[in-house]
Amino acid sequence: MSDGLVKILDGNTFVVSDARGDIEASPTDPTGLFSYDTRFLSEWVLTINGDRMNPLSVDDLQYFESRFFLVPGTGTVYIDAKLSVIRRRAVGNGFHEELTILNHADEPVDLTVRVDAGCDFADLFEVKDALKKKGTYSARVKGGRLVLAYDRETFGRSTAISSSQPARVDKKGLTFKIRIGPHDKWSTGLDVVTERLGVEEAELEDPAKSRRRMQRGLERWVNEAPRLECDWEPLRETYRRSLVDLAALRFSPRIAGGHSLPAAGLPWFMTMFGRDSILTSLQALPFASELAATTLRALGDWQGVGLDDFRDEDPGRILHEMRYGELTAFEERPHSPYYGSADATPLFVVLLDEYERWTGDRGLVRELEIEARAALNWIDEYADLQDTGYIWYERRNKKSGLENQCWKDSWDSISFRDGRIPGFPRATCELQGYAYDAKLRAARLARLVWKDAPFAERLEQEAADLKRRFNRDFWVEDGEYFALALDPDGVQVDALTSNNGHLLWSGIVDKSKAKAVAGHLVGSRLFSGWGVRTLAEGEGRYNPIGYHVGTVWPFDNSFVAWGLRRYGFKDEAAVVAAGILDAAEFFEGRLPEAFGGYERSQTMYPVQYPTACSPQAWSTGAPLLFLRTMLGLEPHGDNLMVDAALPSTIGHLELLDIPGRWGRIDAFGRGRIDVEQRRR
Amino acid sequence: MGGRKQGQTSDAIAEFFAELGRRGHEPLLENASGSARFDVADGKRTERWLLTIDKGDLSVSRKNAAADCVVRVGRAAFERAVKGKFNLMAAALRGEFTIGGDPRLLVLLQRLFPRPSRRRRRPSGKTP
Repeated sequence: MSDGLVKILDGNTFVVSDARGDIEASPTDPTGLFSYDTRFLSEWVLTINGDRMNPLSVDDLQYFESRFFLVPGTGTVYIDAKLSVIRRRAVGNGFHEELTILNHADEPVDLTVRVDAGCDFADLFEVKDALKKKGTYSARVKGGRLVLAYDRETFGRSTAISSSQPARVDKKGLTFKIRIGPHDKWSTGLDVVTERLGVEEAELEDPAKSRRRMQRGLERWVNEAPRLECDWEPLRETYRRSLVDLAALRFSPRIAGGHSLPAAGLPWFMTMFGRDSILTSLQALPFASELAATTLRALGDWQGVGLDDFRDEDPGRILHEMRYGELTAFEERPHSPYYGSADATPLFVVLLDEYERWTGDRGLVRELEIEARAALNWIDEYADLQDTGYIWYERRNKKSGLENQCWKDSWDSISFRDGRIPGFPRATCELQGYAYDAKLRAARLARLVWKDAPFAERLEQEAADLKRRFNRDFWVEDGEYFALALDPDGVQVDALTSNNGHLLWSGIVDKSKAKAVAGHLVGSRLFSGWGVRTLAEGEGRYNPIGYHVGTVWPFDNSFVAWGLRRYGFKDEAAVVAAGILDAAEFFEGRLPEAFGGYERSQTMYPVQYPTACSPQAWSTGAPLLFLRTMLGLEPHGDNLMVDAALPSTIGHLELLDIPGRWGRIDAFGRGRIDVEQRRR
Repeated sequence: MGGRKQGQTSDAIAEFFAELGRRGHEPLLENASGSARFDVADGKRTERWLLTIDKGDLSVSRKNAAADCVVRVGRAAFERAVKGKFNLMAAALRGEFTIGGDPRLLVLLQRLFPRPSRRRRRPSGKTP
């Protein structure tokens, strides 16, 4: 997303405008008012006596509210300082804007205030891919409101625009003829309300009430999270930014009973995602465990039950992505929901177990027994496309399904050292790690909660067998790391990648191999100084600004560090954490989805990936997981173990009131690891 | 899901509910309790079907009683739904039916509807 745009959001409704507060969307850019994947306003331009505004400043009051200070004037030369304009805008059922004009002159002024409004009702997918509409538009004026609508057969979406002050309303906007006395002001409320959203009709809420609700919700969210005290100021800022952004990215579909789960990221992904919601919930578990509970329930409710090729659905499979727009409604896209993800299903089981370890909430484990068993069954019955005891993926929807159903989902992410791309199906390595972890964790739950010891034994046996085969089939002898994948003939796809860190996290790596793997992760080919690259320097497809072939992903690194820690590589974990947290400082505490894989010594600052989503949930969650990793927080029965291993740059660190089955516990640590020296 | 007969009689909707009543229990819904009423409009007439779930136990009646979740749908559209000819979520987004009350129950009830398409499970059909 380009700079200079102002974004406010609430759940999956968001407004993106320019610095004047105006919206003039072209078919392909993501400005406008969006809700449930549909653009409900693509034009919103304020003029006074025919003049556009000039921006003076913008206050981002909260993630759901901003305030624009403006003066009317044409161009940059002439500015009429006798008038100032304030637009205060908050999201909620569309948005509410308070427009105020101040007359600083000694004489009254007569003004024509005009707001032009229009809408293309684009599906977010259309905005991404620039597609053409099939339905019809209409605009009508009714009872002082302007209603813009789009209809295609039974599908309808509309936007109603109204004002608190009398206006002349026409089909293209609102006009106010006003007089403002000397040193006086005039203001009006403007409401833009999204109507006919589809499945989830929002109940209308008074804008002021809605703002208070969001404000209270944010305060409660921040207050309930652990408090962080730290010598290193940037980490305090990153932590606060993460909490607030995570609050902003919460999304409460009515199907989740008003509870919230993390959406993936602004602007493209304000919706339910299997993988992103699970991984973000894992990152946030020590800080806000309710995200995990809601994610598990919502994903469990939508678990696949049948075979549906269009949606790549199988029984037991956890969804990949849900969408609400026109293309999904007419099944021109399969996201109702789409199931083409090979990792969300084992990760669902992993999250369920990790959630219980932190919270002790066995009720939810009992409630989701059917879903967890179905997920485990999917691994063996539906994911093993080659009958080799591994998870494989190959889309059945060849038209609009996803080719790569792992987190590195771009077309060229899976390659051999020499850059060749393997055929399908593919078995990427981290999927096998997740499956291993899921089986072992499910075995624990089977004994503890489901009281099914034979099932637990079977799972443990399968896990042990999987680990043995995996360490044989995926280990690249001459490189001493794990292959990225197996190709359809069982040949190793032998590029060196960050996926090795996920393998450590899952525990599938033989102890004897862990040291070599850890060495690669912090070695010069993978580690840039800021973080671990997705693909190692020197591989055929390596590109420091290639989406999954060389960039550094903060979320990826947070799991890599967790993996290093799991195998006892405390210093290496601290090096990775320190690199990414240093980078966060350059982004004012808000880590982007990805940044360039350039050598740290070469660029001196992290180069943001051009079209990265920001904020993005699992990047927002990364600092939280780094804190957990650096402090060595690990539930042990009803206690929380703390075993800090911090970079010396952090100094003293306290994380106070960490919630869990133990009530609340404080953790302390002092930085002792010289990461500068380790980096050299 | 497998093995269920789809109604080929003139009234697929009646057959769908009759089958649910005969089934009596659905393991996939053992965590669900609540009631859903389907108001199926056919011209001026509205047929009502009340489906009650108690931890997977299903019962069906024609009572016009209050329910946790109320679905209003046209007859032609609902016939397609019970024959597995469309995806409920997509149909809801298209506005082919409206949902009142608790939508979570309807999410779970999707498990009772036949799927739109089936295929063998291995796309490449390859064995090692």
